[in-house]
Formats: sequence, C-alpha cells, structure tokens
Amino acid sequence: MSKIARNMKKKYPAERSFVVPACVIVAVATQVPFILTIIFSALQWNIVRPDQGITFSGLDNFSYYLGNPEFYTICLQTIVMIGAALLLCLIFGYLIALMLDCDIPGKTISRTLILSPFFIMTTTTGVLWKTVILNTNFGWVGTIADWMGIKAVDFVSYYARPLVVFLFVWQWMPFFVLVLLGGLQGIPGEVLERASLDGCSWFEMVFKIKLPMIFNHMQVALMLGLIFLVKEFGLILTTTGGGPGQKSYTLTYYIYKTLFSGSNVGRAAALSVITVVVTLTVINLIFRAIKKRRAAYE
Amino acid sequence: MKKAVLKRDTRSKRAAAKKEVRRWIAGIIILAFALFYFFPILYMILSGFKTEADAAVPAILFHPTLVTWQKVLADVSMINYLKNTIFHVLLGTGICLVIGIPATYALVFAKFKKEGRGESLYNWFVTTILLPPVAVLIPLYITFKELNLNHTRGGLLFLYVGFHLPLCIWLLYSFFKDVPEEVVEAARIDGCTNRQLIMRIIIPLTKTGIMTAGLLVAVFIWNEFFLGYNLTTNATATLPVYMARFGQQQGQFIAQLSASASISCIPPMIFGWISQKSLIKGLTAGAVKG
Repeated sequence: MSKIARNMKKKYPAERSFVVPACVIVAVATQVPFILTIIFSALQWNIVRPDQGITFSGLDNFSYYLGNPEFYTICLQTIVMIGAALLLCLIFGYLIALMLDCDIPGKTISRTLILSPFFIMTTTTGVLWKTVILNTNFGWVGTIADWMGIKAVDFVSYYARPLVVFLFVWQWMPFFVLVLLGGLQGIPGEVLERASLDGCSWFEMVFKIKLPMIFNHMQVALMLGLIFLVKEFGLILTTTGGGPGQKSYTLTYYIYKTLFSGSNVGRAAALSVITVVVTLTVINLIFRAIKKRRAAYE
Repeated sequence: MKKAVLKRDTRSKRAAAKKEVRRWIAGIIILAFALFYFFPILYMILSGFKTEADAAVPAILFHPTLVTWQKVLADVSMINYLKNTIFHVLLGTGICLVIGIPATYALVFAKFKKEGRGESLYNWFVTTILLPPVAVLIPLYITFKELNLNHTRGGLLFLYVGFHLPLCIWLLYSFFKDVPEEVVEAARIDGCTNRQLIMRIIIPLTKTGIMTAGLLVAVFIWNEFFLGYNLTTNATATLPVYMARFGQQQGQFIAQLSASASISCIPPMIFGWISQKSLIKGLTAGAVKG
C-alpha cells in the first residue's frame, strides 16, 4: 500500500495545484480588498475633494463613530431588525418545515410555492411590494381598505421598520424551510417510531426529539441567514430608502450613504470594519450557544 | 366471533378514514397558506398581461393582452440589462464550475505535503462566505473607477466568480466526499490521468451535487445587486439594477413594471423549482458534514 501510495505521489504531483486558481481568484476578489479596507479605515480621504489629499489619521475614524450617538442608534436598530427577522424566520420556517415533512396531499406544490420568494431578486421584491401591494392608491392595500371602508395605511412611511422586517422574513424564510426540511428528512425513521411507541405526545416529539436533532441545520440556517441579511441592500433601497429619516437604515445602507453621499472613504471603511467585526462576533455567539445546547442534549 | 372481527375491522377502517380526512385538511391548510404566500408573485405575473388602465385597479379577473409585454420587450435598455445579466450568469456559473470542480477534487483527494492542509484550505474557503460584501466594496469601487473597469463586463464577472467560488466549493465538497476513496485509488492504479478521473468518474458520480451548485450559483449571480449596483455604469448594469431604477423612476406604470419584474424573476424561479429537491439534499450535506 505504502509503495502504491509513494508511486501515486510521483505520478500525481500536479493534482494539488488544481486548487491554486481558485485560491488566487478568491483571495484577489475578497481578501485583498478587505485588507485594503482595513488600511483605508486609518486614512482621512474624501473622494470628491482630491485637493485635501490623503492623510493618515490613525484611529480617528473609529473614535468618530464610537463617540457618535447616530452610530449607536443605527447599530442597535440593525441588530434589532435582523435579529427579529432571523427569529421569525426560524420559528415559522421550523413550523412550515414540520408541516411539509408530513405525508400530506399536495405538499410538493405547497413546497414549490413557499420556496419561490427565495429565488427572486431583492429589488424586485421591494418594487413589487411597494407598488403592487402596499401602494395606497393602486395597490391591494388601497383596494382592501376601500372594501372595508377604512382609510388605507401607508406602511412604507409609517411602519418602515416593521415593514422591512416583514419583507426580510418573506424573502428569507423559504431558505430556512429549505435547510430545516433537509434536516427533518434526515432524521432516521426508527427514532421517531421508537418515540411514538414510547408514548411521546406531538409536542414532545416536535420540541424534544426533532428540534435537538436538527440543531446543526439551524446553526447553518442562522449563520447564512445572518450573512444574507447583513448584506441586504436592494430591499431597503427600493422600499423605504432607509427612511423616514434614518429609521430603517442598516449598517450596510449606512456605509453606502457614507461613501456615496458623504464621499468619505476613511469613515466608510471604518464602518465596514466595524460591521465585519460585529457580524463575526454574532456568528461566533450563535455558534457557541448552539454547541452548548447540543452538548446538553447529547 | 365473526361479528367481533367485523366490528374491529370497521372500527379500524373508520380510524383510517379519520386519519385520511385529517391529512387532507392539513394539506388544504398548508396549500392555502402557500397560495397566500405566493400571491404577490402570482399577481405580478398576471398583471403583466393587463393594460396600464386595467392594472391601476387591483383585480384578479381581466382580459389578458400582450400589449404591455410587447412594449417591455421592445425597450432597448431593458434588453441590454437582460443581456448583461445573462452574460454574467452563463459565464460566471461556467467559470465557477470549471475552476471549482478541480479545486474541490484536489481538496478532497489530493495528498498535500502537510497533513490536513486540504482541510484547512477548505475551511478558509468556507469562512470567506461569511465576509459581507460591504467589507470589500470601497477599495473595489475606487479601483474600478480608476481603471475604468466599471465600463467593462469583465471586472464584475471576475468578482462574481471570486464571490461565488467558495459557495460552489462548499456545496461540492460534501458530494465529493461521498465518492469512495477506493474508486479513485483503483482508477489511478489503472492509469487514469487526473483529467480522465474527473471527467469519467467524479463528474458522473456527483451529478446531483454539480447541478445543485451550478443552479444555486446561477440564481445568486442573477440576483446579485449590491456589487452590480455600485460597480457598473448604465451600459454594463444588470437586471436587478434596472428593477431598482424602474421602481424609482416609473413606479406608477404597474403593468409595465409587472412584466419587467416577471422577466427578472421567472428564470431564477424555474431554476429553483428544478433544483429544490437536490438543494434540500445539497444544503443538508454541506451543513452537517461541513
């Protein structure tokens, strides 16, 4: 065997190198710009005022944000909006996945319909909901309010934050269903049979047997869901535009505004770095919490 | 005696019937929910077949016409955006697979000098998925502007490949791991070259995985907005950018908007529908083992 293996090494020294192009492309596209972002975050640099030049400013950009109440407000509201959306996605996603996992008629078509919003581009989601559903004159909200004889509510301006959360959930809940359904289908049939023979109630079955068995899937769904939501930009741009005021800003939107309205490269870069740090910290926390719970169950 | 058996028989039959009814009720409830959930998309597709005057009043029953569709398809700028998107999806997905398949093959089967190098490289790829695109936008924006890359499609294509390769590798990895090592060893002993091994053995054995990865990458590239919006000009922008601008500029033309929106979301939806089963399997495999 070892001889064969040695032979193999001689014969196939090249196969290792297959991974090189992928490494180079990913590094150039993601890592190098990220390192540049970190460098930029220590600079004073206004792109529309080249006359001011680029100067080194150390941690000034960070201390600007850390002493700025606006930043804390937006940071907190990002965390609240994304947290609420993720929680709702997880709860409803789990319930729907449970139902779709049962042997019921028409589940293929139900699943197909429920999964659809996940495949749609976020700008279309935003435009679609804003004009076709929520518009108080031409949309369904206006029509339904007319039927009921009440004045239509302009959700986009009066309930911006709940609306954004709702649309986040509408768009990303299918993804949770997709992952959790995979988890549920992977539970061996014997386990469930044993449980029902032991006289498990439906409640115990769902929360004490199935739930711990798909913690892994929940973790992946939460992590990827968090990434999807942190980078979410099109939805906010096309519906509320971050408004009213800055009420539905997320950190990503804030960075965009700092860069393109404020033209301030250094500050936008500092914000990006903060966003990455916050995101990775939260992911780490999720990871640990789930690991702990899983250990408790095992 | 006979009577008792008969009685038990009817009772179990009744229980079975009851169960059947319950199944149907559950099925109808979830279908109703699914229709409600899907309604905005359904209504949007229907509205594309209305005239502007009809579309101003929400209703499900109407006379379908193709007027609006003709108008939308005759719009040169729309076609241009669509062309850009198709360019990115076809080439981006293709390149991702062409680079991703050998890379994953090497990660799984190659002997690295240092034990565990393959594993740690794989972990590195997976962590890059967690990097939000805002973290890289600023330098990319400045570079694209300086080098005039935002006037070409190539720059964005490169980024799309770079951003979706890790996803592709993550999905492929678990499928490749399922290929028994002995099969690969045996093929090598029989004198297969690496290329033959990939083409004749790995690809046929992991067809589902490759399909899943390809379709998911295609959907993601089709829908990518953040980079596409900030790193392009009018001539090189993609469909999501068009939708965003449409919403801002001509939000009141509901029929036209619906038809364009249908173009923007029917292809990825069909991709998704085709791949949903393998997606469930593929994401699960990636989740548990990765």
